[in-house]
Order: sequence, then C-alpha cells, then structure tokens
Amino acid sequence: MLKYIVKRIFIFIPTLFVISLITFMLSVSVPGDPVEQILGGGGSAGEIGQSSSRLASEQSYIDKRRELGLDLPVFYLSLSNAATPDTLYKIYRKPHHDNLEQLIQLYGNWNDIQKYYHSIQKLDLAIADLKVDSLNADAKIGMRDEIFTLLNQYQPSLVQSALGRMKEHVASAPSMKELNDEMQNTLDAYNDMILNSTSYKNYIPKFHFYGTQNQYHRWITKFIVGDFGISYQDGRPVKEAVWTAVGKTLLISILSIILTYLIAIPIGVFSAKNKSNLSDQIITTVLFILYSLPSFWVATLLITFFGGGDFFDWFPTYGLGDEGDPLIDKIHHLVLPLFCWTYGGLAFVSRQMRGSMINSLSQDYIRTSRAKGVSETSVLWKHAFKNSLLPVITLFASVFPMAISGSIVLEIIFSIPGMGKLAFDALSARNYPMVYTVVMFSAVVTMLGYLVADICYAIVDPRISYSNKK
Amino acid sequence: MEPVQLKQDYWSYVKRQFKKNKRAVFSAWVVLLLMLIAVFADFIANEKPLAFKDESGWNFPIVRDYGVKLGISEWPTKWNNIKWAEQDYQSVIFPLIPYSPNTQDYRNAQFASPFEPQDIDSKRWRHWLGTEALGRDVMSAMIHGTRIAFMVGFVSMFIATLIGVILGSLAGYFGDERLKVSRATVLWLLILLIPAYFYSLQSRTHLLSKAIGESFFLFIFQLLISIFIFGLFMGSIWILSRPFKRIKYLSHKVSIPVDIMIQRLIEVLVSIPGLFLIIAIVAIAKPSVMLIMAVIGLTSWTEIARFIRAELLRVRNLEYIEAAQALGFSNLRTLFKHAIPNAISPVLIAVAFGIAAAILIESFLSFIGIGIPPEVLTWGKLLSLSRSAPWWFAIAPGFAIFIMITLFNLLGEGLTDALDPRQKR
Repeated sequence: MLKYIVKRIFIFIPTLFVISLITFMLSVSVPGDPVEQILGGGGSAGEIGQSSSRLASEQSYIDKRRELGLDLPVFYLSLSNAATPDTLYKIYRKPHHDNLEQLIQLYGNWNDIQKYYHSIQKLDLAIADLKVDSLNADAKIGMRDEIFTLLNQYQPSLVQSALGRMKEHVASAPSMKELNDEMQNTLDAYNDMILNSTSYKNYIPKFHFYGTQNQYHRWITKFIVGDFGISYQDGRPVKEAVWTAVGKTLLISILSIILTYLIAIPIGVFSAKNKSNLSDQIITTVLFILYSLPSFWVATLLITFFGGGDFFDWFPTYGLGDEGDPLIDKIHHLVLPLFCWTYGGLAFVSRQMRGSMINSLSQDYIRTSRAKGVSETSVLWKHAFKNSLLPVITLFASVFPMAISGSIVLEIIFSIPGMGKLAFDALSARNYPMVYTVVMFSAVVTMLGYLVADICYAIVDPRISYSNKK
Repeated sequence: MEPVQLKQDYWSYVKRQFKKNKRAVFSAWVVLLLMLIAVFADFIANEKPLAFKDESGWNFPIVRDYGVKLGISEWPTKWNNIKWAEQDYQSVIFPLIPYSPNTQDYRNAQFASPFEPQDIDSKRWRHWLGTEALGRDVMSAMIHGTRIAFMVGFVSMFIATLIGVILGSLAGYFGDERLKVSRATVLWLLILLIPAYFYSLQSRTHLLSKAIGESFFLFIFQLLISIFIFGLFMGSIWILSRPFKRIKYLSHKVSIPVDIMIQRLIEVLVSIPGLFLIIAIVAIAKPSVMLIMAVIGLTSWTEIARFIRAELLRVRNLEYIEAAQALGFSNLRTLFKHAIPNAISPVLIAVAFGIAAAILIESFLSFIGIGIPPEVLTWGKLLSLSRSAPWWFAIAPGFAIFIMITLFNLLGEGLTDALDPRQKR
C-alpha cells in the first residue's frame, strides 16, 4: 500500500508539470495587457501630449514591464518560422505585436516590416510635436487617427486608404509641411515592404532556444520554493490573498458538507427501508428534482424573493458580513449561500446512501441475521447501515477538492470573496500570478483528493488491491 | 444462455428494458417535442408573417429568408427595415408568437409584466412572458433559446464522443503492452511530429482563426485540410520506415504505453478546474456559439473515454476478439469493426448525462456573460438579465434550463437501467 502511495505521488510530478505548462500558456494567451491595467490606462494617456511626455510615459510602461518580468520571452524555446524574428517578443504593446505578426504572415520580410514600423512611430512623434494652429487642428487629429489605423491594421486595402488620407492631411495646411519627410519615409517603407515580399519564409520552420531567461522559468522556480508573487490587482502577496479566500470558501464548504451528511444519511436510510413505498417514491422524486435544479437559478430566485427584491427582505445577499460582526449576523449572512451550496450535494449523497443501503439489505448476511431473530432496528443500524456507510464516506474524498476550489457561480452571485471568485476576477483582470497560483493549488488538491479516494476504496473493500497488479 | 443468442436481440432487449421505465419514455417524447420547437423556432416565433397577400400575390417571407441564407433567393429591397406588424396587408398570417428575439417593442419596453395589461392592439400581440428592458419578447427568446440549448448539447457531445471513443478505446484495447511498433517507426514519428504540427497547424493558424470568425463550414473545411496534412505526414512514416526495418536494431519491436499516456492526459484534464479551462479558452477567441460548443466538447470527453476504456478492458479478452486476432485481422480492423461496436452502449449513458451537463455549462457561461456574442439571446443570458428585473423575469429561463437538464438526466437513468443491468439500483 505504501509503495502504491509513493508511486502515485511520483506520478503527480509530471502531471503537475504539464498542468503548470497549460495554465501558463493559456493565461499568457488571454488578450489584454496587465501592465496597462496596473498603470491605470497609462497607454491611452500616452497617446496625447508632446513627444517628451509621451516618451516619459512610455518609459514608465517599459520599467513596469521589466519589474514584472513580462519583458522576457515566454518559454525556453519557440517553434516559429524563418520569417518571424526571435526577438519579436520585445515589441511590447500587444495590439502592435499582433499586427506585426499579421504583416509577417503577409510579407515575410522582417527587416522591411521593422523599418515600416519604426517609420510610423517616428511620424507619430513628429505629429505630437507639431504646434497646433487654427489651420491644422483638424488635420492633426486626422493624422493621429490614421496612425492608429496603421498600427492596428494590416489589410492592404485599409492601410493604403489610410496612407492616402494622410497624404491629403499633410497637404491640407501649410504648417503640416513639417511632416513631409516623415510621411515620405513611411510611404517608402510601406512600398519597400510590399515589393520585397518574401512570404515563402513563413513555411520554413525554425527553432529558437532562449535559455533560462524566460517568464515560465522565472515563475516556476519561484513557485517551487513557495514564492507565489505579488498580485497585480492590489499589490498584496498572492499567498495572503489565497489564504484569506480559502478560509472563506472552507467555512461555507465545511458547514455545507456537515449539513449534507447530517440530513442525507437519515433520508437515504429511511428511503431504503421503505423501498418502493409511497414515501420512498416521493423522496426519490424530490431528490431527483433537487439534483437537477441549476444552482444559479435557485440562487437568483432566493435573492429575488428573500433578499429584498419585490417580496421579503429577510436575508442579506452580499458577502459574509464584516470582521467585527456578531456571530448571529454572520449566520444571517450565511443562510442563503449555505442553502444553495447544500441542496445539490444533499440530493446526490442521499441517492448514493439509498442505493448502497438497498444493496446491503439484499445481502445474504442480512437474511441470515433476520433468520436468527435479530431485531429489525438492529439489522438496519448495526448490520446494514455500517456496511453501506463506507462507500458514502469515500465520496467525501471527491467532494473535498470542490470544497476548496469553491463554486465560481455561487460566489459571484452572493459576492463571497472565496476561491472561485478570486480565480474568476484574477482571470478577467489578467492577474497572472494569482491565476497560476489558484489553478495549481486546485490541481494539487484535486489530485490528492483522487488519491485519498482510491486509498479509501482499498481500505473499505479489501478485494481492491493496488500492490500486485496482474 | 448462448452468447450468440443474447447478442442477436441485444438491442431489442435494451428497447424492452427502456420502455419499462415510464419516466424515461416520457422524457424521450418531451425531448422530441422540444426538438421540433427548436427546429421550427423561426416559424413559431418571428416578426415576419408566415404568409401575406399584396398586389403581387402571396408572399412567404420566412421561407424566403431561408432561401436567402442558402443563396438561392434574393431579399426584396422594399422589405428592408420595415415594421412587419404595421404594414397594410390584403390578408396575412402571423406566426404564433409575432415577435423575433430581437424585435424591440418600444410601447412595451422596461419589463412589461405578463400579469398586467400591456400596451397592445389585441390579444394577438400580447407578450405572454413579458418583455425585457428594450422591449424584446421573452417568449420568443425562450423559443429560439431552445435551439441554442439543443445545439450546444448535441454538438459538444458529438465532439466529446468522437474524442472519448477514439482515445478511450485505444487505451482500453491496446493497454500498455499490445501496441508494438518497430523502432524505425518510433524514430520517424519523433522526427516528423514537429514538422507535421508545424505545417498542419502552426503555419495555418491565421487561416484557421480567420475561418472561425467567418463561418462554421469554412472552419470545418480548413480544419479538415489541417487534419489531412497531418495525416499525410503520419502516413509517410509507414513508407519511410520500411527501408530502415532491414537494420536489425531498428526492426526490433517496442511496445508503446498507450494506456498510461491517455490516462495521464485524462488526469491532467480533470485536475485543472474545468471552468477555468473553458473561461480561459473562451476569453482568447472571439465570442461565438460554435466556440462554446467546441470548448465544452474538448473538455468533457474524459468521462466517455473512461467508460469505453473500462468496457474494452473486458471485451478485449473475450473469445471472439482472440478469434479475430488468430485469423490475422489487423489491430485496427479488430478494434473498430469488432471490439468497439460491442462496447459502445455504455457510452450512450455518458452522452445523455453529458448533454445535460453541457447545457448547464453553456447557460452558466451566458449567465456570467462569457463566450456568447451580445446579439444572441440564450436562456442563461435571459436569466442573467433578471438580476435587474422584476421577480417574474427569472422564472421562465431558469425553469427551461431545469426542465432540459431533468429530461436528459431522466433519459440517462433510463439508459443506465436498460443498458447496464449490473448498475441497477
């Protein structure tokens, strides 16, 4: 048995490694720029103003990026094509990066594409430094719009029409003449890019190794030693945030599991004892309905009817109350969430209990004990119940991971700051350190849960043996 | 009983057993009825008339609409942007619910209640389940939502079944020892895997992502091309490895631990919180119903794979499989023609429960506002609107989701009883 457990734990390591890879790759591919979010719309502020102030805001963006380690390549190696330079990750603005990728796909000549990109940036700065007068105000705004198009669009028709309009803007006012050179550079660069197209390079595969200076390495080496990083959203350590959230989720989960078992087991036994009676049929039907009720509907209805909607204002529907609140207040907050958490599991466990109880009651030893005159109560509780309880208890192992990861939907509806809500919020805010930590945490707990379940099965049923495999 | 005899009327036995379960039979009929509603949703709830007569004779705008979508008919310009309800017709037949899901009834905006008088000309125009904030009819949205619910359930489970059956049966049939290939083949596989991935997927990413934004069929077409290219690479292994098999070392057969590999893959998938996986993938791509279906399918095949793996572990040791192998049938032929057909029935159970789960996941995603484009109204989205609506608004969509899940759960139970008497409770 011990050998089996050790073996299973060793198998965890490659599995966790793959999970860490998937989590990492998925979160990094989710669109959105964490740096821009931290700087609070710094990106849009940088679009206006003189070139000096724009360069300053650009610098603060770059610094923040370096601080978070987002300026590194994503992984140890990359499989790309001959047209894509291995330094493309250095283009930090994500929309620009994506647009450049599209241009590479179209033309495949990075040198010319790079020249084109730089010429647009220079033109952009020149526009920013242009003095506004009564004649060029509209043209300046128009130019800025077109620059935006050039940086974010790649389709030849869109780019060409934007370039055409820019030429008109430059010719529209005498003071716009200052832009002539930069404008001509951009046009030349664009034409060069199209003329020297080498799109075949997209079909030559190319490997590149970046070494250990990459985001994944940086994250996983810190993660293994227990440094989960700093939350992008509020600057708190991730560990702290996760602990707080686990506490909230566990509070509800444990209460709900206790309630579930306290109610479900008697119901299951009663139902099995009166098998096929009217009462059993009613219970079975009700349990079945409860089992199929979507929890977010029940939660919505409960809030509408008992949470101060059009009807009764009996229960608070927001959060779990504050730190200093008296116990009764906390219980008050817990009533509705607890109900939603419990009823589904209740139906499930009762059905399992009923099934395993019926199974026990049909065994030979029950008939034997009845035949030798054991009282019915004793048969039920001493013989059948004991044997049917074990499979239901092993269910606990599979409930446990859920109890810790929390329920995304219920936590969102009731605004409970638990693990589910934490994960969801982190994902929508591109809070990478938080996302990785929460997912890895859930994965470890889930795998431990499965292991515990398997061990429980072996303990409960001596026929199951993991040690001598055929 | 002779096994041959049992096999002969296995399906009729299953049918008899299934019919004994009254609740499951009833569910099957209700599902059929709901499917009819889903298929004919455009004819049941639509702002356009079913038929109307004007100076040019009888017109059938809804049928015409289908023609336009198929490209065999044109939409008359005089029908653009007209208010169908306010036209003068010689005679006209409107559908049962004369509103499309996106028709805005300005006179009854801001949650016109189904229990109070509405600002309507006659009973014919009543909003039987009320309206939402913009005056869109809830009943019409409910009927069209049926279509999305079924589509999500069936398509995602189709994808899941395809993946689950293939991977599960490979794991169950071959186990860790039975798939033996020569070292030359393994060598070529390792060499060609990366180019195969590069040319079939990576270098085609932009084509695929463009197609996913345009239309379903274009995407399937592009995907098939990718699979074909991948297949070409894999097929060439067979030819390329032949000369190398002459070398003694390379011709030595090694067994590939298929079971361990697939089991680990399943373990990885079930250990990542499922919703995280779905939410992350959906956040990357542009919202669309098709994407939701694909993602649910790609993440929910593990249960099916486990079912069929367990079944094949049993079947592969039966005499007729040994007989097939003794006759010299190839592994693939034995697997697909003899083993899988006899192991497929438990999969039906997993599919029935899977459809219920898929519908629940989709409505949950629409509820938290992820993955479904803004113009599509689903049950889950209706339910999410109810957070800022009067009490009656939450009843209908939630009830519909509940009924749908119950029906498929009942079907699943009926199938469990009929197909797998050992599991009978």
